[in-house]
Amino acid sequence: MFDQFREWETNRHEYAKEWKERTGGKVMGYFCTYVPEEILHAAGVLPVRILGSHEPQNVTEPHIFGMFCPFCRDCLAQGLKGRYDYLDGIMIAQSCLHIRQAFTSWEKHRPREFSYYLCMPHHVQSPRALPYLTGELVEFKKAVEEWTGQTITDDGLDRAIEVYNENRRLLRSIYDLRQAEHPPLSGEEAMEMVISGQMTDKEEHSGEMSKVLEALPVRGNGRDPGVRLMIIGSEDDDIEFINMVESSGATIVVDEHCTGTRYFWNQVEPREDRLEAIAARYIDRVPCPTKDWVDRTRIPHILDLAEKWNVAGAIVMQQKFCDPHELDTVAIRKALHEKDIKTLFLEFDVTVPIGQFKVRVEAFLEMLNDEDLFD
Amino acid sequence: MITAGIDMGAKTIKVVVLKDEEVAGKSIVVAGFDNRASAEEAFAVALEDAGLSREDLDAVVATGAGRKSAPYSARDVSEVGCDARGTIKRYPNARTVIDVGAEEGRAIRCNEQGKVLDFALNEKCAAGAGAFTEAMSRALEVETERLGAMSLESGNAVPMNAQCAVFAESEVVSLLHARTPKEDIARAVHDAIASRIVSLARKVGFEPEVVLIGGVAHNIGFVDSLQRALECEVIVPDDPDYIGAYGAALAAAEEG
Amino acid sequence: MATKQLYETRKLECWGKAKEIRENYYRDYATAHDRGALRWAGGAWTFGAIPCGLGEDVYSITSEPYAASIAANREFSNRCLEATERAGYARDLCSYMRNYWGSLLLDEFLWGGPFPKPDFIWQDHICCSHAKWYQVVCDMEPDIPHFSIDVAVGPEQEINDNKLDYLVGQMHDGIEWLEKVTGREYNDDLLIEAVHNECRSTSVWAEICNLNKAIPSPLEEKTMYSLYVLGTLMKHSKVVADFYEEIRDEVKDRVENGIAAVANERCRLMSDTQPPWGFLSLFRYLEEYGAISVGSLYTFGLVGLWEVKPDGTWGPRTTPQQLGIEIKDRDHALRVLAEWNLHKPEWQHFYSPHVKTDMMVRIAREWSLDGVLLHYNRGCEGLSVGIAENRLGLIEAGFPVMTFEGNMGDEREFDLARTKTRVDTFMETLGLKKE
Repeated sequence: MFDQFREWETNRHEYAKEWKERTGGKVMGYFCTYVPEEILHAAGVLPVRILGSHEPQNVTEPHIFGMFCPFCRDCLAQGLKGRYDYLDGIMIAQSCLHIRQAFTSWEKHRPREFSYYLCMPHHVQSPRALPYLTGELVEFKKAVEEWTGQTITDDGLDRAIEVYNENRRLLRSIYDLRQAEHPPLSGEEAMEMVISGQMTDKEEHSGEMSKVLEALPVRGNGRDPGVRLMIIGSEDDDIEFINMVESSGATIVVDEHCTGTRYFWNQVEPREDRLEAIAARYIDRVPCPTKDWVDRTRIPHILDLAEKWNVAGAIVMQQKFCDPHELDTVAIRKALHEKDIKTLFLEFDVTVPIGQFKVRVEAFLEMLNDEDLFD
Repeated sequence: MITAGIDMGAKTIKVVVLKDEEVAGKSIVVAGFDNRASAEEAFAVALEDAGLSREDLDAVVATGAGRKSAPYSARDVSEVGCDARGTIKRYPNARTVIDVGAEEGRAIRCNEQGKVLDFALNEKCAAGAGAFTEAMSRALEVETERLGAMSLESGNAVPMNAQCAVFAESEVVSLLHARTPKEDIARAVHDAIASRIVSLARKVGFEPEVVLIGGVAHNIGFVDSLQRALECEVIVPDDPDYIGAYGAALAAAEEG
Repeated sequence: MATKQLYETRKLECWGKAKEIRENYYRDYATAHDRGALRWAGGAWTFGAIPCGLGEDVYSITSEPYAASIAANREFSNRCLEATERAGYARDLCSYMRNYWGSLLLDEFLWGGPFPKPDFIWQDHICCSHAKWYQVVCDMEPDIPHFSIDVAVGPEQEINDNKLDYLVGQMHDGIEWLEKVTGREYNDDLLIEAVHNECRSTSVWAEICNLNKAIPSPLEEKTMYSLYVLGTLMKHSKVVADFYEEIRDEVKDRVENGIAAVANERCRLMSDTQPPWGFLSLFRYLEEYGAISVGSLYTFGLVGLWEVKPDGTWGPRTTPQQLGIEIKDRDHALRVLAEWNLHKPEWQHFYSPHVKTDMMVRIAREWSLDGVLLHYNRGCEGLSVGIAENRLGLIEAGFPVMTFEGNMGDEREFDLARTKTRVDTFMETLGLKKE
């Protein structure tokens, strides 16, 4: 049922190249989920999220200091190795320092016909952020129009917003099904579904999800869900790891991370000024750790997810060297422990020592199972 | 003119004696607890090999990690400088020198005169030296000398994370538990070190001819991995351990 | 490089006063409550001029310099770092933060006594860690009010009203917040005075750095750190602005009389990012080769404000006062302050390392440099972001570059012996021998 998503995710480059040929449109590679894709969509551009390939590489050392996260180096490696040469443009919305380097090095050494650095504000908790971002989007829209030769109208934006909102609604609906005692889909399937959506045409992706949404309620899983877990992190697309966890007697039922729910959780709410409406969505959305200050809004959100999806434990998938997330994990784990939700902390690199992680995951699951026994 | 160069490496001490620019004698001695005593032994063996005595020496230059405690030398020159001199003399078309020793990996770019244009050394997080293969051999329970040949027997590339030596070691353990053939793991280990070394080489921007020196150059598995990773031919001298000391002896002749 | 020659040297006369100002600063902060005064904590880059409007008895402690001071005391630093690690914080986090938090967790102030709690936190946010540094402080001490201003609005050449409004808007909100949490009425005159002082001190600091273009250099970087730090403590104060003018006059005099910082100067280098604070002896080691660091973008452009002069070279930024601008009211003062800071050189590289490369190449050319030492600083992502590209750019521009890995605030991550060996090799490639 999820094969199409896996296909898209595994063959992301073939998909984009085929899309280009079929539609004659431009493809924009982007770093960071704060990129306002709706505006790109309204100009007929296909936005694709640049992710790594989880292979050890030796090409980024001259460009990015090794103490920056493996993910940003993995992303740059894809560019340096020419795997994304079909991109017409690259862009980033300002978030963390690490991924910024993948963008700036890519821009210099593998330049595209269009590149853009959107100064997405960090102080999203300030009322000043909305007018500011709206102003930045006005400039961005002009730049995209100039690049594509397309005029972006309000109608165009409305259509794009609806396409994106629909995609988000479907994702939320499918995620809601995971609240069930026997979730009809695994965390691995969910991850394939969410990630593939970040690199395909949203309408195609929504079409596939509609089919899945219909079929899921009657899908006989037969599988014992085991321990209900959530994963929390920065950027995670370690499907191999999720597979290992779920083969050890657990099911990932929900997540709070950058390639997961943070990407799609919030809708664009309608407003007269379309750009303002889009800006509001990106400001009010579940924040990346870099933007979650002065108050810690991730915590009540995580606790809410944990409660609604009834999780017994959480795996914190800490991307090695990711400072922003490291600045949150102590507070997040404390909050979870206060609600009696145990956490397992694991550090991730480009490749993972599956064997060693399995030992720890199994011990964690055993501990959670024992808890149930003695309740 | 008779000069000598001594390379006080972390694991071994090498001495090369030159007579009118030709190699007259050489020695290699395991660096003992008393560095200086091992160095004196190395000198004695090399001089005997050359049929000369200490008084015959016009100048001596020391290099290597322990060069400050080298006997008889009037001055010391960096390993990078000696590697470049020694390599260029032997291979005039060499433009990149890669030196992988027990504890350190280096990439050096030089010009036709052997002048160092740029260099890079392995940093904190690096599985890029000989000590790593020793640790991996232990994990695989094979002799270090066997490891290279074993890796050539593999037909499979198993990806191994090359950044953190500690992580890599636990990956080897994982692979063993998953019943991965030892040959494949051996190859993965060499590919991992090669990857680290190639990162260094890319930092200085490597160009042919590329020459590999240092103790780890004896490891045919590593040489194979390095050539594949660099995608270019790598020249390995018959006596890769000695090039540093040879370069030091040449440096001694410069002064004179 | 110059032939073997010995320049005349002389100790800096202003040295003692610099020490005094710094000591007073920390003492005033620590004892503020004894006098019924206010005290706040925040980053060195925060808009320190703004809390000045709360009265003439407002003192601060800026986090980075305090943490750097801890780092220079390796024994205390290690205890702080270990306390932070015990509390569960990762070792690769900014080492300034880890030292600072450690001091809080141990409840030990570097100069004795318990850590003096601030009345409020007034912070800026440009690198990922800035606002979150104090978010964690508030995790530890939840009753301290905290306000942070986001300054990451883009490079100076793209400044527009929309960006300024965002910054100034947050500042206005901040002032309202300050009035609320302190219960004091805000005095715009004090703000205006502080803004003028800040522009003056940062422009004069650039003037001082500019004088280092002279050969021989009147100052070298290790000395400059002790002078530059004052700007990171309170660039908005009359004390620092006046003192920088004193230093400038003394340095001008040194240049006129050919007084060098280092007698055997024959190789001019620059560094980058903060130095490993516990190992400043590295700079003395350079001197054994007659090599000196004349400064860095960090020393020049974090406190100093610059502009391109009519002759195309870098020079101190002309202040609003020098331009005859009179600050009319609060909004005007905030706008001047925001715009002034947005031109800060060390805020530009956050948007592109290539912009930083251009600035570094400019420094290398205008300060007549022979090479560059890049500190691949594991302790600060904000300043080492893009450093690998800076290296490539500098090499492309024809400057020899040596890199060394280290950590400004965690001595466990710096190997002095190994770094010295690397310096030996680098000096060899430059054709220099020890004297």
